[in-house]
Amino acid sequence: MSKFLLLAFRNVFRNRRRTLMTLLMVGGGVAGLLLVGGFFAFMTDGLRESTIRNGLGHIQIFTAEHFRRDEVHVLDTGIDNWRHVAATVASAQHVRGVAPRIEFYGMVSNGQKSSVYMGSAVDPDAERSLGFSANLIAGHDLTAKPGAEVQALIGSGLAKSMNVKVGDGLTLLAVTSDGALNGIDVEIAGIVQTGVADLDARYLRIPLTAAQRLLQSDRVTNLVVGLDATSNTDRVYDELIPRLNGLPQQMELKRWIDLALFYRQVRTLFVTIFLFLGTIVFFMVVMSSVNTLLMAMFERTREIGTMLAMGTPHSWIVGLFMTEAALLGLLGAAVGIVGGSLAGALLNFLNLHLPPPPGLTSEMPFRVLHMPWLMAAASLLVIISLALASILPAIRASRIQITEALAHV
Amino acid sequence: MNELVTAEAVSRSFPLDHIQVRALDEASLRVCCGEFLAIAGPSGSGKTTLLNLIGCIDKPTSGRILLDGEDTTKLTPARTTALRREKIGFVFQTFNLIPVFTAIENVEFPLLVQGVSGSERRRKAAAALESVGLSSRARHRPDLLSGGERQRVAVARAIVHHPALVLADEPTANLDTQNATQLIDLMRELNRNLGLTFIFSTHDQRLLEHTPRIVRLCDGRVVSDLHEAAAAGTATWLEGDRHEQVSAARVS
Repeated sequence: MSKFLLLAFRNVFRNRRRTLMTLLMVGGGVAGLLLVGGFFAFMTDGLRESTIRNGLGHIQIFTAEHFRRDEVHVLDTGIDNWRHVAATVASAQHVRGVAPRIEFYGMVSNGQKSSVYMGSAVDPDAERSLGFSANLIAGHDLTAKPGAEVQALIGSGLAKSMNVKVGDGLTLLAVTSDGALNGIDVEIAGIVQTGVADLDARYLRIPLTAAQRLLQSDRVTNLVVGLDATSNTDRVYDELIPRLNGLPQQMELKRWIDLALFYRQVRTLFVTIFLFLGTIVFFMVVMSSVNTLLMAMFERTREIGTMLAMGTPHSWIVGLFMTEAALLGLLGAAVGIVGGSLAGALLNFLNLHLPPPPGLTSEMPFRVLHMPWLMAAASLLVIISLALASILPAIRASRIQITEALAHV
Repeated sequence: MNELVTAEAVSRSFPLDHIQVRALDEASLRVCCGEFLAIAGPSGSGKTTLLNLIGCIDKPTSGRILLDGEDTTKLTPARTTALRREKIGFVFQTFNLIPVFTAIENVEFPLLVQGVSGSERRRKAAAALESVGLSSRARHRPDLLSGGERQRVAVARAIVHHPALVLADEPTANLDTQNATQLIDLMRELNRNLGLTFIFSTHDQRLLEHTPRIVRLCDGRVVSDLHEAAAAGTATWLEGDRHEQVSAARVS
């Protein structure tokens, strides 16, 4: 180790108790950032994957017309030859499968009471192959047995308001693609909870074939593409665009992030909170460290005067204090990383759960993700900030009057 | 001999409340290379001020100081710093060693800021420590050394880069009589053996007995400049450039 670094290192530990307190302050700040950041990352990552798994998929394919105008009749902006489109997409690398969907709405009745529903028609086998699962709280998932009674999954809120249970029958009414009114009878196969109370009150899912019969159309609203990993979304998106260019219908692709409005809002909220907390922690850490550095400089006034008298350049003194500050930041960051990692591991081990947030119905697990990039970023931030924050006090120290400094007691 | 330091009618005033206190009043002094010179006088006589001005860590209010032919009052701050680094060694009353460095690391320090390589630094620092008789204490930190040892480390630090001039401001003030005498003897020995020019200040009369040249200050003025006669060294002194004989009794 060079003598310069050795001097800086020993100076940091000249007053061990004060340095320890400063390291705990800096380390506590870094650990706090890691814990908050790790928790927020767990929340957003979990929300992202659950949003994708709950049926959003990684990429959705619509006709371009779908976004240009509202439908006059149901499915009149839908995908015509969707099996061909699905086959084209399915042959791309990283694509696990393609699931057709029809989004529709109408009235549901049990003979005594009627309610509005928001329907989603799916191919149960395709959905299962992509790992898209409904959160069933009663009954079982849809099956696609030909000739059997049409099955339906309904939201817990809708089941409650209609006063129905698994095995009960319902009649679905909807306007067909020709504008006529049509209806089919379904049997409740299961009751699901989406996690969003407003959606649970309107949610209804039936097999694709039943919906096509109800709506009198072979079209689908969109195709949902599932990938092997979320990180491949952009790569596959870029690959699919030219593949779908030559089709009779102009297609438009949407990435999951384009469609996940709720996810984006939550992430923005978390990022804002994190930045707010981070700013407060950052200032506390910097201020306490600068205070330590100022005290150290005051105590070493005569020593600085001696160095200057011996012809030590001002820049050397400034560099020494900046190095000491950076070392303080480095050691504090190390303390924070160790402390934050241990605290995170302990919290994960305790398997804690948070109560459901407003608008949601299920408890949320409390986990802290291990985030190497956040560790590196927090460490760099602390090291650079402390080094920069020490510049002014260091310059002041280097410009001290030598004769006064030598007389300092 | 070549003239190393020339102080010409140097004055230094300090503001105190609303008045100017004159710490040094048109003091003139010439010091040649290889001299061993004591600046004597009571507290407040201007000894430290004169040393600070010669050492380029303060600027005179009027007059000028030449160091090795360079007018130090006209130098830029950067050149002044470089001049101190290259040509002057300092010994302070309170030792002023860096407490987190060992003895040898303290001695290395002037070479460190000069950018000398590590191996060269260690070799020169070891030689300097040996010259002050402290090789065995090289790895000790200042808090494990006695006062006399600390000041010898400070002397080694002051001479390690072979400066043209070593300035020692009351170097014996914090030492007992035995250590004080030993330190002055050590500095005299280094002066003789290495040809280094020493200027030290003291108000301890006993330390002046073996000092070949004594400049006395009183109220900021040079009141006498006594040279030991080259041959005698006991009772015969010559005053200033006029070479008037004065009695040894006057000096003591």
